[in-house]
Amino acid sequence: MHAKLTAAAPLSTTPSFYEAAQKIYPREVRGRFATKRRWTVVLLLGLFYSIAWISWDGQQMLLFDLPARKFHVFGLTLWPQDFVYLALLLIIAALSLFFITALAGRIFCGYACPQTVWTEVFLWIEQWTEGNRSQRQKLDQKPWTLEKILRKSSKQLLWLSLAFYTGLTFVGYFIPIRSIGAELVNLSLGPWAVFWILLYSLATYGNAGYLREQVCKYMCPYARFQSAMFDKDTLVISYDELRGEPRGARRRGAAPAKPQGDCIDCTLCVQVCPTGIDIRKGLQYECIACAACIDACDDVMDKLGASRGLIRYTTEHAMAGKQTRLVRPRLFVYGALLTLATGVIAYSLLTRTPLILDVIRDRNALYREVRGDWVENAYSIKVINEDDKAHHYRLQAQGIAQLELVVPTGVIDVAPGSVANVPVRLQAPAANAHGVHPISLRISAQDAPNIVRTEKTRFIGPQS
Amino acid sequence: MATPALEGNRSDRQFWMDVGMVLWSSFLAAGVGAIVFFAAVDPLLLRDAGPQRFENLSREAGYALGFLFFWALAASAAALSVYMVRSVGRSDDRAATQREIR
Repeated sequence: MHAKLTAAAPLSTTPSFYEAAQKIYPREVRGRFATKRRWTVVLLLGLFYSIAWISWDGQQMLLFDLPARKFHVFGLTLWPQDFVYLALLLIIAALSLFFITALAGRIFCGYACPQTVWTEVFLWIEQWTEGNRSQRQKLDQKPWTLEKILRKSSKQLLWLSLAFYTGLTFVGYFIPIRSIGAELVNLSLGPWAVFWILLYSLATYGNAGYLREQVCKYMCPYARFQSAMFDKDTLVISYDELRGEPRGARRRGAAPAKPQGDCIDCTLCVQVCPTGIDIRKGLQYECIACAACIDACDDVMDKLGASRGLIRYTTEHAMAGKQTRLVRPRLFVYGALLTLATGVIAYSLLTRTPLILDVIRDRNALYREVRGDWVENAYSIKVINEDDKAHHYRLQAQGIAQLELVVPTGVIDVAPGSVANVPVRLQAPAANAHGVHPISLRISAQDAPNIVRTEKTRFIGPQS
Repeated sequence: MATPALEGNRSDRQFWMDVGMVLWSSFLAAGVGAIVFFAAVDPLLLRDAGPQRFENLSREAGYALGFLFFWALAASAAALSVYMVRSVGRSDDRAATQREIR
């Protein structure tokens, strides 16, 4: 009984999930994959910082103009009513991520995730101001000398400037960036713009400067569920245990006294790891597949005169000596869904009519007798002009012989992005209008014949 | 004897991690909520329907306040979830006590 109790006791305590975070000093790394990442970082950040300043038809090319409630996307103007496109776009982004993850593992994490990209740049700044890994470690332990103050403060200055410019650019995708720039110079920026800029600057500074790998380990939902997309044919970074073990130091040229693997236990793969894991312990969810350990290990293997690839991109099947299947059902499913979503968004954007017509029949009265032997039905129509210029619209009704349309307001003029509620009456001779008749209302822009919408409604006349 | 989850065995770090998780997951939820909500509703319409003292609020203020509202709402739900999940440990302790008595 007693033994059972002591065994049960640890279960009832909440275990400490979180070890104290140790500061990681990633060692700088050179090699094939580091070069690729450097170029990806330059390309992605270049796009991020420059696209905001590019104009298209006198408009910012990519601007989700929240103050004006309209989105400019490569010459196209979208309104809140077009929210479905944004939702579709997000679905496409998610499906692409699933597809790429199933195929190539966490390529996104290692090369393209904003967290990785900005952390990389912040690390460059850190290396530039504080030196390499061991210099940084020593600097942190040193007392505050003038040199330390200078190095630390220049790092902070560069970090803060970059973070601020990043926040500014980010907000510039939601508030016209040129106006932000001008207002910043005049110090006339609105309080909420300042709030969002500072919030995103702070997020960049904190995430890329301090939280770093902890964002991937503790905050990123994708890191937790990406394994659901993995299978035995997914590209992962793996240590070749068969080849590497038993590990241990060895002298060049000297024949080892006992059987020895290729791993010399130099721990460089651990030192370069931005999340501080040991890849030799197998695939771990902290691994963001940045391939820094591959570069480091390849370098060591080159020096030893051994073949590269003790740590390499491979698949679980390949590791087990089996064939890697590139084409597999999972990829077809993700691929098909992706194609479908892309097709839907492309088709609907290409055939999009920047006009919406809603017709609501007035339910207060079935019909009204007018002009002696004529009957009248009342409707209220809603015209939404989704174009980026004003239009003058023409309304036509069809469905009953001698049907007449009365628009009390005379004309239907709608400003860009606006909604007009227009009361409308339809009149027909009672003799032609017994019972219920389907009616179609057609609205067209007078200056643009391709902007046309047709909606169906009903006309109710007296029982015969 | 085991210490109840909420009183003894919980480090400061764990507490702050919980706070971080609550704020972060609710931040994500509030982002989605605010996007969907403001895609359908213009903050200026809400302002015009509300009390007069808010008549000078801008759209940007509306978005920000709306987002903060969603954040607070989601954070309270997340905090409650964490509290409930963590405090379940107590009933396990009671079960242990019961076994000990028997």
